[in-house]
Amino acid sequence: MELTLNHRKEGDRTVLEVGGEVDVYTAPKLREKLVELVGEGHYQIVVDMTKVEFLDSTGLGVLVGGLKRVRSHDGSLSLVCNQERILKIFRITGLTKVFPIHDSLDEALQDSE
Amino acid sequence: MTDVELHLPPDVRYVGLARLVVMVAARQAGMADERLEDLKIAVSEATTNAINAHRRTAKPAPVVLAFGPTGSGQFAVTIADTGPGFEPPPLEAHSSRDWSLENGLGVTLIRGLADDVEFRREAGMVVKMRFSVDLTGDGAVGD
Repeated sequence: MELTLNHRKEGDRTVLEVGGEVDVYTAPKLREKLVELVGEGHYQIVVDMTKVEFLDSTGLGVLVGGLKRVRSHDGSLSLVCNQERILKIFRITGLTKVFPIHDSLDEALQDSE
Repeated sequence: MTDVELHLPPDVRYVGLARLVVMVAARQAGMADERLEDLKIAVSEATTNAINAHRRTAKPAPVVLAFGPTGSGQFAVTIADTGPGFEPPPLEAHSSRDWSLENGLGVTLIRGLADDVEFRREAGMVVKMRFSVDLTGDGAVGD
C-alpha cells in the first residue's frame, strides 16, 4: 500500500494526516513533507496516524527528525495514534517519552502544549 | 521442515514484498494475528538493514531470507546479507538513549519483538529471529 499525506490548518495547528505504509521505501516522502511544512512556517504540527497501516523504525526516525526541526523553531510535534500495534513500537523504543501521543485528533488539538 | 527462501534484489522497494511473503507463510503456519504484526516489523527492520548494507557497498548480490516453522511451536526467519556487517549496538536503558540519533532503532525493535534473536557475522551479517506461533509474552490473552 502506498503512503498518503494530506495536511490542513486547524486553528494555529497544522494537521498532517498520514495513511498507508511508512517504511524505508516510503519514509523519504514523509520526511520531505515535514521539511516542506516547517520551511513554510508550520511549527505546530499534529501528525494524525489513525490511518497508518504499518510503521517501522525508518518512520520513527523521520518523526524524530520532524520533532527536532519544529523544536528548533520553538514549535511542537504531537501524534494521534489509537492503534495498539503502532503504540507498541513507540513503547519498545522509549519514544512515548519523547512525543505527546493522543488517542484522538480532538484531544491533540485541545492540548495546549 | 525445509525453509522457504526468498532472494531479494538489494532495493528498498522490496522490503514491503519481504514483509508480505513472510507474513503469509507465518499465517499458514498458524501464527496469531498479534504476533504477525510483531513479525512484520522485525522482518522489515532486518531486511532494511541488509538491503542498506548492500547499497552501501554497491553490491548487486541479493539479500536472502529463509523462513519456516521450527517444529517446536516457533517460526524462524533468517536474513543474510553479504555487506560489511554492523556491530549490533549494546543493550541500553531507554533513558540513556541519545535522541539526536534518528537511526539505530531497528535493532532495538527486533530485540523487543522477537522471542529471541542472534546476530552472526558470516560473509556479511546474518540475523536469525524466532517468534512463537501462539500468543505469548506481552499482551498475551488466554482462550
